[in-house]
Amino acid sequence: MSTDANNASLNRFGSIALIVGLVGLAIAGLGFFQGYNSGDVRPLMSWLMGIAFWLSIAVGMLFLTQIWYVFHARWPVIIRRQCEHSFAAFPVLFILFLPLLLVTFSGDQAGLLWKWLDSSNQLASHGTVGDDPLYQWKSPYLNHSFFIIRSVLVFAVFIGISYALRKLSFDTDKTGNINNTHIARRLSSAGLFLCAVFATVGAIDWFKSLEYHWFSTMYGVWFFAASMRAALSALIILCIVLATRGYLKGILKQAHRYDIGCLMLTFTIFWAYISFSQYFLIYNANIPEETFWYIIREKNFNGELNSWWWVSMGLIFGHFLTPFLILLWYKTKVVVWRSVAIAGWILCFHLLDLYWNIVPGKLADPDAHGAGYLVRQFSVNIFDIAAVIGVGGVCIWAFCNSTKKAEAIPVRDPNIENSLNYVE
Amino acid sequence: MAEAEQSYGLIASFKNTASFFHAAEKVRDAGYKKWDTYSSFPVHGMPEAQGQPRSKVPIFTFCGGITGFIIGTLMVWYMNYFDYPLIVGGKPFFSPIFPFPIMYELTILLSAFGTLGGMFITNLLPQHYNPLFNSAKFLEVSGDRLVIAIESRDPQYDPQATRSFLEEIGGTDIEEVNA
Repeated sequence: MSTDANNASLNRFGSIALIVGLVGLAIAGLGFFQGYNSGDVRPLMSWLMGIAFWLSIAVGMLFLTQIWYVFHARWPVIIRRQCEHSFAAFPVLFILFLPLLLVTFSGDQAGLLWKWLDSSNQLASHGTVGDDPLYQWKSPYLNHSFFIIRSVLVFAVFIGISYALRKLSFDTDKTGNINNTHIARRLSSAGLFLCAVFATVGAIDWFKSLEYHWFSTMYGVWFFAASMRAALSALIILCIVLATRGYLKGILKQAHRYDIGCLMLTFTIFWAYISFSQYFLIYNANIPEETFWYIIREKNFNGELNSWWWVSMGLIFGHFLTPFLILLWYKTKVVVWRSVAIAGWILCFHLLDLYWNIVPGKLADPDAHGAGYLVRQFSVNIFDIAAVIGVGGVCIWAFCNSTKKAEAIPVRDPNIENSLNYVE
Repeated sequence: MAEAEQSYGLIASFKNTASFFHAAEKVRDAGYKKWDTYSSFPVHGMPEAQGQPRSKVPIFTFCGGITGFIIGTLMVWYMNYFDYPLIVGGKPFFSPIFPFPIMYELTILLSAFGTLGGMFITNLLPQHYNPLFNSAKFLEVSGDRLVIAIESRDPQYDPQATRSFLEEIGGTDIEEVNA
């Protein structure tokens, strides 16, 4: 298949993705607007989840690319280019994130999504955020101006590093300059530290601070592990789609797919290890400021199991045990449809994991008079779906758009031959 | 002495990796079963060229892991719930949560043992005597020699026919090795 025909089909696909994405964003945006006007936080959470889902994929790919550079990995060179095209999603995600930041500047609804941003917000128990000693202790970090600076900085780091790596790699296509690879490698060595720090900052600010009472030292690592799983799953689907559509036909080999599959297994175990360790430490220490986060994900105030208990069980068995056992199989990693199926499965459960981390929260119980609370229960609504599809459509459009700017594979990369001839 | 002169098989040497690799494919296609290739470095794709199935080691690993998990669970259940129930930090006598590190570590430990043992078993190790080392030429495999050896216990083995077959596929220095 000629390159022109490939580009045309990718262009067409990109345009369709853009239209679908904009429709999705319009629906999710409508929910966002209604939520903002009526003080309903749930549609804002849908928006946050849509961004979190695709951002985690892009962040995972950024980590992967830098790890590959640092370790001088030769086999993934052809796959690295697909990550570099995916980096085009970062600016799009930043623009889509801005509405959430803008809300924090509004007078009356500043603390709609992140409760602590408004010190007059009522707590689920009694008193306001401003009177809360825990908030007062955390306020040197959790305050509006610092929060805005951090959020912008996180995106600045992701966009800066990813675009620098992109530019260096695309430039090698044209000039064959070996120094580009050396610079990319040095940049990645520093970039891994920066990305680790700022992914942690982002995860704490955007997801963990939704329940700002909570403490956990493992949250950043959880986000890293979840991102890597999402990125690897998205990458295998992306590469296989591109290979069957002709773009990577004959280039993507069984050995590449097998190695991505092995990494998927590794990070499935790593995600479980981190998620369990977080639970385990809090369970063993048994301190109320920490345990409440897990308690609301298990039962209501009256002790009855709630909807989150089922989601938690779903995560243990669906997000860990099932993919773990299936990925142990050699065939899962080399038979195309099986890898796509398990990657799709992991992505679905990754979204459920984001629900589980973002949505539950303590709500004031009007009948309890301060002696109880309600838990925001698990629910899937049209705005969740619209946000995930909407953000995804625009990200996919950004990817397709980027493929015009460089070759399908890094043709003059010093390791391209090793990658093309890679065998298990 | 009569036993000592029994033939173990034939060895043939090859000039370069490509001819070595393609010769292996021809031996496989000729239907030989009891034979092997020897080189001082790994040749990518050689297991497929030899027609070898996937390694059986993962099965040993899996069985080791399952055994470890079950032993870990039973051990904690026996000690903390059955034999000497003890309240620690207000936790239940038995739950799958607090002893998980023990279950997990034993899973890993016995998986590793299973892998090591499986590797030894499937590679027929330890093997204190291999007749191939009777050949001075074969010893050069640890240097730059590439050797294919067909054993006499192969049902298709015939001293004359196999020798001419090895010549045909490009083998040189063909030599009979005594058992």
